[in-house]
Amino acid sequence: MKVMPMAKVSIVVISHSKQLAEGIVELVSQTKQKDVIVAAAGGTEEEEIGTSVDIITKTINEVYNEAGVLLLFDLGSAFMNAELAAEMLPDMEGSVQIADAPIVEGTYIAAVEAGLGYSLEEVKNAAEKAKTWKKMDG
Amino acid sequence: MIENTVEVKLKTGLQARPAALFVQEANRFQSNIHLQKDDKKVNAKSIMGVMSLAVRNGGTLQIITEGTDEEEAMQALTDYVEKEE
Repeated sequence: MKVMPMAKVSIVVISHSKQLAEGIVELVSQTKQKDVIVAAAGGTEEEEIGTSVDIITKTINEVYNEAGVLLLFDLGSAFMNAELAAEMLPDMEGSVQIADAPIVEGTYIAAVEAGLGYSLEEVKNAAEKAKTWKKMDG
Repeated sequence: MIENTVEVKLKTGLQARPAALFVQEANRFQSNIHLQKDDKKVNAKSIMGVMSLAVRNGGTLQIITEGTDEEEAMQALTDYVEKEE
């Protein structure tokens, strides 16, 4: 199933490190299609290591469209804050989902699949398969 | 249905960026498209499938296309993997 007409799933990369989140966005910008939005929500308001519900919420608002938004996170409390941010956006219920995936591989896969026009559910499932992806042969 | 065995000449193999572009190319066609390497057969329209084959430069793989535009798809995808860049 492909989402019609043209809206594509947006992606938010949530990391404790602002630089890491921005670096992943930079990395996947090499492989994604232009109309897929991948945004960084890293660090705290003070630009320290951590995550911020406000920064995550603001970023989701900026990239939201009717295809939905997929959130990827790095570690521990980033998940908690991702959940809180999604809960603070009741109008978007169901169209903001969190992927349980390695953050680099998951974002890479999600960005490609979003570009092909797949639905939020399908993009999320693809990103989560990155967990079982063997990076070396044999 | 058409099957064709090709050598991957892409410098970095069919991984990372080339794999992403390959999947995007495959999705331009209506046909069902699969890739096979050894015993493993994957959907060429899914990035996970293509990445999981991990085909390196100089490796061979089989492209299988089936559908109304199977010939155009085969031509485009063969040209893509045989590019030396």
